[in-house]
Amino acid sequence: MLLAVLIANSEGNILVERFNGVPAEERLHWRSFLVKLGADNLKGVKNEELLVASHKSVFIVYTVLGDVSIFVVGKDEYDELALAEAIFVITSALKDVCGKPPTERLFLDKYGKICLCLDEIVWKGLLENTDKERIKRLVRLKPPTEF
Amino acid sequence: MAQPLVKKDDDRDDEEYSPFLGIEKGAVLQEARVFNDPQLDARRCSQVITKLLYLLNQGETFTKIEATEVFFSVTKLFQSRDIGLRRMVYLMIKELSPSADEVIIVTSSLMKDMNSRTDMYRANAIRVLCRITDGTLLTQIERYLKQAIVDKNPVVASAALVSGIHLLQTNPEIVKRWSNEVQEAVQSRAALVQFHALALLHQIRQNDRLAVSKLVTSLTKGTVRSPLAQCLLIRYTSQVIRESGVNTQTGDRPFYDYLEGCLRHKAEMVIFEAARAITVLSGVTTRELTPAITVLQLFLSSSKPVLRFAAVRTLNKVAMTHPMAVTNCNIDMESLISDQNRSIATLAITTLLKTGNESSVDRLMKQITNFMSDIADEFKIVVVDAIRSLCLKFPLKYRSLMNFLSNILREEGGFEYKKAIVDSIVILIRDIPDAKESGLLHLCEFIEDCEFTYLSTQILHFLGNEGPKTSDPSKYIRYIYNRVILENATVRASAVSTLAKFGAMIDSLKPRIFILLRRCLFDNDDEVRDRATLYLNTLGGDGSVVETDKDVKEFLFGSLDIPLTNMETSLKNYIQNPSEEPFDINSVPKEVKSQPLVEKKAPGKKPTGLGAPPTGPTSTADTYERILSSIPEFTSFGKLFKSSAPVELTEAETEYAVNVVKHIFDRHVVFQYNCTNTIPEQLLENVFVIVDASEAEEFSEVGSKPLKSLPYDTPGQTFVAFEKPEGVPAVGKFSNMLRFTVKEVVDTSTGEAEDDGVEDEYQLEDFEVVAADYMVKVGVSNFRNAWESMGPDFERIDEYGLGPRESLAEAVSTVINLLGMQPCEGTEVVPSNSRSHSCLLSGLYIGNMKVLVRLSFGIDASKEVAMKLAVRSEDENVSDTIHDIVASG
Repeated sequence: MLLAVLIANSEGNILVERFNGVPAEERLHWRSFLVKLGADNLKGVKNEELLVASHKSVFIVYTVLGDVSIFVVGKDEYDELALAEAIFVITSALKDVCGKPPTERLFLDKYGKICLCLDEIVWKGLLENTDKERIKRLVRLKPPTEF
Repeated sequence: MAQPLVKKDDDRDDEEYSPFLGIEKGAVLQEARVFNDPQLDARRCSQVITKLLYLLNQGETFTKIEATEVFFSVTKLFQSRDIGLRRMVYLMIKELSPSADEVIIVTSSLMKDMNSRTDMYRANAIRVLCRITDGTLLTQIERYLKQAIVDKNPVVASAALVSGIHLLQTNPEIVKRWSNEVQEAVQSRAALVQFHALALLHQIRQNDRLAVSKLVTSLTKGTVRSPLAQCLLIRYTSQVIRESGVNTQTGDRPFYDYLEGCLRHKAEMVIFEAARAITVLSGVTTRELTPAITVLQLFLSSSKPVLRFAAVRTLNKVAMTHPMAVTNCNIDMESLISDQNRSIATLAITTLLKTGNESSVDRLMKQITNFMSDIADEFKIVVVDAIRSLCLKFPLKYRSLMNFLSNILREEGGFEYKKAIVDSIVILIRDIPDAKESGLLHLCEFIEDCEFTYLSTQILHFLGNEGPKTSDPSKYIRYIYNRVILENATVRASAVSTLAKFGAMIDSLKPRIFILLRRCLFDNDDEVRDRATLYLNTLGGDGSVVETDKDVKEFLFGSLDIPLTNMETSLKNYIQNPSEEPFDINSVPKEVKSQPLVEKKAPGKKPTGLGAPPTGPTSTADTYERILSSIPEFTSFGKLFKSSAPVELTEAETEYAVNVVKHIFDRHVVFQYNCTNTIPEQLLENVFVIVDASEAEEFSEVGSKPLKSLPYDTPGQTFVAFEKPEGVPAVGKFSNMLRFTVKEVVDTSTGEAEDDGVEDEYQLEDFEVVAADYMVKVGVSNFRNAWESMGPDFERIDEYGLGPRESLAEAVSTVINLLGMQPCEGTEVVPSNSRSHSCLLSGLYIGNMKVLVRLSFGIDASKEVAMKLAVRSEDENVSDTIHDIVASG
């Protein structure tokens, strides 16, 4: 299960937070844990360089893209490698929507589109689409090109 | 958006303003009224939805009324023809997840979209409907979903398949009807459709071994289009291998070639999955393991942290079972100690601790000392655990490892970390007699400056039990009495009890202990004063040097043989029904109510430290002893010698889960059947096991204790006792049939059942009592000393041919398991490719006889293994018996 996708700005404020199968009372804990993890480790990290951590039986893969940090959390079959795949899809889609690694402002300007992309990528904890070209079309309700 | 923005060319200035600056829920809900406009402004509506999404993503919640209002307004947007807006509407409805009574409003619109000619409407409508639907609606749309699974458009098919995966949790019986369509989708040319279909098909059929095996056989030969699907297939293959075992004729393992082939796949994800699958094969040979280890080793020096992490994590697991296989990677692993990523560094360290040999311990400890200062507590705990295991493996190295532990104990750290260190020191003290005195002193120094009351009291308790048995007990008194002067009331009370224990055990210290205890009579805390008074009285506080009464010692050192939950219930009842009579502890029932027994995981159980001292109430052995002593029929059996690990008598995921624990007494064995009822609709009563001992001639049944009631998911126990000849390691096979009365549960929430039941029975698997059941694993810290001091009086030496074996390691582990003894000094590990090996074992044989065994193995080119067995024990019969066990095994 892909437990969470969280996107924060450089100060650690949450921009997008989507949990799946995480009880409401644990969400705050996860949020602060991830933000602290980012604050401790993401300084000076290059765009899209993936970092990894594990906490109990849960894996976390995270990275920076422009002004935003992206975290994905998973367990069981969503181990560090599957999460790396998921975060790769997310960063590609973000770059596609924003045209470049986004500033915080640009990210918020494209907020609606980004939500739609995330909706296409992760659906209730399962990875659904992985190809950015296809995602780009799907958010505009266009069928995939290969079809 | 809410705040009009002036576009500027300079990006940096732009960043100061957020389009959501000052966003406020009330205002956005007001704005949402535009959804009701007769002339819809699609762009504006999309903007408002974006704001609503932003609020929800920030963790904002809507009240029931707010959500309903927004939901109803959003449904109006189905009128708009704007495609962008429609996509937003789908997302918004999912986010709002309307309640069952509201769903009806959108179902017709969604059903229409589901049959729309626009593919993408279909895909999205499916996803929304499946998100908000319940069972009844699902049966109405099932036909469309089945069609969608085989839809030509991959997005529609994927939407239906992923919906199926989710719906399987809530409506399994419906989704299971789709397996033909899903089967067809597995053959799809679209990569993701195949991936989703494979996942769903496996979930539908996961309990049907034959079907899974067929699926794996056909797909491993066919084409799998995406790395993700390939990973799933590897996982399922690994499951099939686990269940099918090695081909006994050819010695080949089915599908191994497929897994090995995947090691050369271009996607890293697949390579790792295959390597992991190989490393967890049961009884994996060195030949099978080598290719997997080789690829993992390459990834250790990858530039990507995720790959380094994945590699070191996998190797860490391998090191637990096959430490020698990982030693080749040690050099790469050592360079990871300085890895920027602390998770990787910690895994590298703990792997090295597992694979290192005795000579490398000191060098490793030096490296770790530098590393410890810059990692977080959670990583430190992992390292401490690994060091404890290392110390138990190489007891001769206890000095440097104990020093390391005491050094880190003095440094800053949180409770969990300190507790891990203290637990480790306690375990080392217990298992390595030579380490006792220095370990106790380290603990004493720690409590001089310990900020955690819990740890102080636990250490004081432990000190009271162990300190009096040391060569110079008086040196601990100062540390204990300091607690009485300096600490809070809880710690002071513990210190008083500890002082009393020293007084009880050591007569020469008694007068001095009395002086200290009398000082405690003036403490300002009730509990401390009470304890001091109690102990002065029980120990005979007149200061005379007399031997302490046996009852008093029992009172001070014995464990409370009443389950604490029973005690709590009795006390609560007592308070609720006030009475003139004082509370009588004998009125508390000793019988342990059905409780979830955690020892299912016993084989991989970590040794616990202070949390479960051997005399404490939580250790498994103690729990067993208490359970058995509460059954009057078994009290005459004497002292429990050994309890085996639970043996499963049912397969996983059956209606009733049963395992058995074999309790060995001098002249009896008691089988404890731990039963769990996994059917919520059933209540079992009068549960017992009919045991057929016709293949266990020396055993005769003498009694049993049925279980009155076994409700759903609350484990309970039933027992059967057998008599056997004293001192003889009688063996035999037992067949078992579970009998019970089953009653239907009327209300699953309360567990209320019908009055009438039906008698039924359930066949359990057989199990055996083997020679190893009469042996307790007890290690010695220095085998050579123990061997010399045992002397050659009852030594028996003989040689055996073990015939052709798979490998030397396999032969060694077979003999160890046959004898059930504790391997000493890490000699259970056989270096790969070695032609000979020596193994040292120690144990306690029934009748409390110490036994030591030296095994020497040799293997020749044709894999014939020869073994020399030398036994020393305290009794010649026992030495002979060990030979008999090997000869007949």
